[in-house]
Amino acid sequence: MATVDYPLEKSRRQREFSLSEALYSWVATVDHKRLGLMYMTSAIIFFLIAGVMAMVIRAQLIVPENHVVGPQTFNRLFTMHGTTMVFLVGMPIIAGMSNYLIPLMIGARDMAFPRLNAFGYWIFLFGGILLYFSYLGANGLFGAGSAPDVGWFAYAPLTERAFSRGTSTDYWILGILVSGIGSIVSAINVIATTLSMRCKGMKLSRMPLFVWVMVVDAWMVILALPPLTAGQVMLLFDRYLGANFFNTQAGGSAVLWQHFFWIFGHPEVYILIFPAFATVSEVVPVFSRKPIFGRQAMVGAVVAIGFISFGVWAHHMFAVGMAPISNIFFATASFLVAVPTGVKIFNWLATIWGGKIRFATPMLFCVAFIFQFLIAGLTGVMLAVTPFDWQLTDSYFVVAHFHYTLTGSFLFGVFAAIYYWFPKATGKMLSETIGKWHFWLLVIGFHLTFDPQHILGILGMPRRVYTYAPGRGWEPWNMISSIGAAIQAIAIICFAWNVIRALIKGERAGDDPWDAWTLEWTTTSPPPEYNYETDPEVRSSRPLWDLKHPEDPDWKYE
Amino acid sequence: MAEEDTKHDYPDAVDMPAPSFWPMILAFGVTLLLTGIVTNYVVTLVGFVLSARAAVGWWRDVIPHELHEEVPVRHPADWAVPVRTTGRSVASLRVGAAHHRMRIPERVHPYKAGIWGGIAGGIAMAILACIYGQVAHGSIWYPVNLLAATVLPSISQAGETALGQFQLVAFGVAVGVHTITSILVGVLYAVTLPMFPRRAPLWAGFIVPLFWTGLIAATLALTNPALNDHINWIWFIACQIAFGLVAGFVAAKTQRIDTMQNLPFIERAAIESQWSEKPDGKGRQ
Repeated sequence: MATVDYPLEKSRRQREFSLSEALYSWVATVDHKRLGLMYMTSAIIFFLIAGVMAMVIRAQLIVPENHVVGPQTFNRLFTMHGTTMVFLVGMPIIAGMSNYLIPLMIGARDMAFPRLNAFGYWIFLFGGILLYFSYLGANGLFGAGSAPDVGWFAYAPLTERAFSRGTSTDYWILGILVSGIGSIVSAINVIATTLSMRCKGMKLSRMPLFVWVMVVDAWMVILALPPLTAGQVMLLFDRYLGANFFNTQAGGSAVLWQHFFWIFGHPEVYILIFPAFATVSEVVPVFSRKPIFGRQAMVGAVVAIGFISFGVWAHHMFAVGMAPISNIFFATASFLVAVPTGVKIFNWLATIWGGKIRFATPMLFCVAFIFQFLIAGLTGVMLAVTPFDWQLTDSYFVVAHFHYTLTGSFLFGVFAAIYYWFPKATGKMLSETIGKWHFWLLVIGFHLTFDPQHILGILGMPRRVYTYAPGRGWEPWNMISSIGAAIQAIAIICFAWNVIRALIKGERAGDDPWDAWTLEWTTTSPPPEYNYETDPEVRSSRPLWDLKHPEDPDWKYE
Repeated sequence: MAEEDTKHDYPDAVDMPAPSFWPMILAFGVTLLLTGIVTNYVVTLVGFVLSARAAVGWWRDVIPHELHEEVPVRHPADWAVPVRTTGRSVASLRVGAAHHRMRIPERVHPYKAGIWGGIAGGIAMAILACIYGQVAHGSIWYPVNLLAATVLPSISQAGETALGQFQLVAFGVAVGVHTITSILVGVLYAVTLPMFPRRAPLWAGFIVPLFWTGLIAATLALTNPALNDHINWIWFIACQIAFGLVAGFVAAKTQRIDTMQNLPFIERAAIESQWSEKPDGKGRQ
């Protein structure tokens, strides 16, 4: 008896099989590109959640004596917003970009420790989920508090049992501690990969600037995270085992926590900004049609920033009342960071200068980055002046300064990276038109949001107040700031629409849509699992330039 | 024919690390292990069991040999398009003709031009400042004492009368500060002048002093509160411009020298060898 084949049924069975197989292939993957995309996707989801929180914060502050949310909810919102942005958006973006791009850029097939790489991603994700589980767990089990409400730097002794009942602070500690394991693992992998898996001919001197910056970044992660972890473990000891490290009533030191936190916290700012540095150092030359100006100086500057950033942490603590010599030391060290940072800004500008500039979306984000990062740096230098800091510490001026650094600089750099490498990762181009809408709305929204906050700080508005009385001159600036936040939200919707649209019906990208020079553009978009069919070999820091311009290759001059 | 198809210079398959779900299980186990602290010890227990099982699974993935899977290499038709030459030639910088990879500037002013420029500019500035002291305060020592207050805090407390009097220590300090600063700024002028695109003396004479004044205005309250309290900004800017014009003029007048960047190392290091240029410049030995 002949069997009857039902084509529709068969195709459905096949689809089911392929769906489950697809799910398994993502869960069990150790491919650096997939893990990179998983990191980036998770970061973007956390970014959207933190963005919604920011919108609620700005809605609460749009007018005086507003009651969109209560003070407790407000505290949780700014704590979770800050914690999410730093630990669950910034850090996975670093890991995601490193994972996806470094093996491609150095001509390797994968990261040095692929399984460890997968472990790093999953533990970061579970750490993030644990932090957000506090909304359910902390409240449900003890009836006191829900999400953490101690601010993203969780100052002692307010995190001690006497002031922070329930387990919300414990969730903050454990969530960050667990996700931090992922950051350390990823950093180790980046260093091992870069040191041991470069393709033939790729000396350190020929390594793309992107890779250089990310390697220094990885070293910083390895050095900066342990003090935070140590502080968090000590805090857990305080809370569970009756230790008194930070309990001032029992002879502990609250300032000790600040040292532990900021010796991590200040390098962390540079850790977060480095992916933007790395991106701008790749995008600006390609869109200016010139090699990067002062390549060696750029590498030197990034290494110098890495070193100096570990000696400036106490400029966050001027208001604590340290000895004058400490104030002078940390102020001077903070000024010193401006020198290599200035070198970088100068070199980016010198690269653009006289170039044949193409203002495609990645380049627009880079130009805005340079301008905004300069302002962020200048206000940073202002805050490094001890008496100035005494006046404006814990005010909205500080909020404006670090949002210029993390939104105006880091986020713009990340968007430049997404617009630049999205075609490589997906094989599809993002729309330039929607990209420009995204860019201009974000620029306008960003400046409307954060420029007035400088003025609010100077007018005396403290950070973290959930509302304010009318008649202090704060109303118009808060109104403008909140409107700016709404415009930023529209910009992010444009971005989301652009990504979805590109994935569904985006124009095909081709292998090298930007006429670029680094190795990743020699493979297909998206690259195959093994990256390159044959092992690449390079002779200069711009291998594609050499191939495209045999009459004038870089290797003659390097 | 079929035999020909199998002969190629690329691998049929590439060994890649085999997928594994143990890393995910281990991550979940470690998370539960710690979550027990804030929930229940049973959670920690489950986390421990999961972690232990995942660790064993992971070890078996890599010991004694790491598990690999063979990923077949795609057909060459699906490979990346070979990189082609762009067909566009690279534009060369016109300055300096042949050496389009030169570092600009190719020719610079010598350092001594900056030193002489700084001294000349410093004298011009001092004269104008003394004229200001005489006209506005009836004493040429007034600006001298104000400058000395940068180093001597005691002068910061002095009144108008004391500031108009000659003080030997203050005079020595002011001359020292002024001379060192003038020479250093003069050298800076000499180094930067060739880097300006055009009309370098204009930059030196007007624009740079204005920037410099802005910098001083922002920091003077910290570096020299006495001067900050008594300063007359119009005269101050005039003095700066006088310095800029004179120093820029003197530095710009000097003969520029080659940076030697296009010479081989052996010549830059002044090593005499059989490959060095002959003194008459006619070829190599």
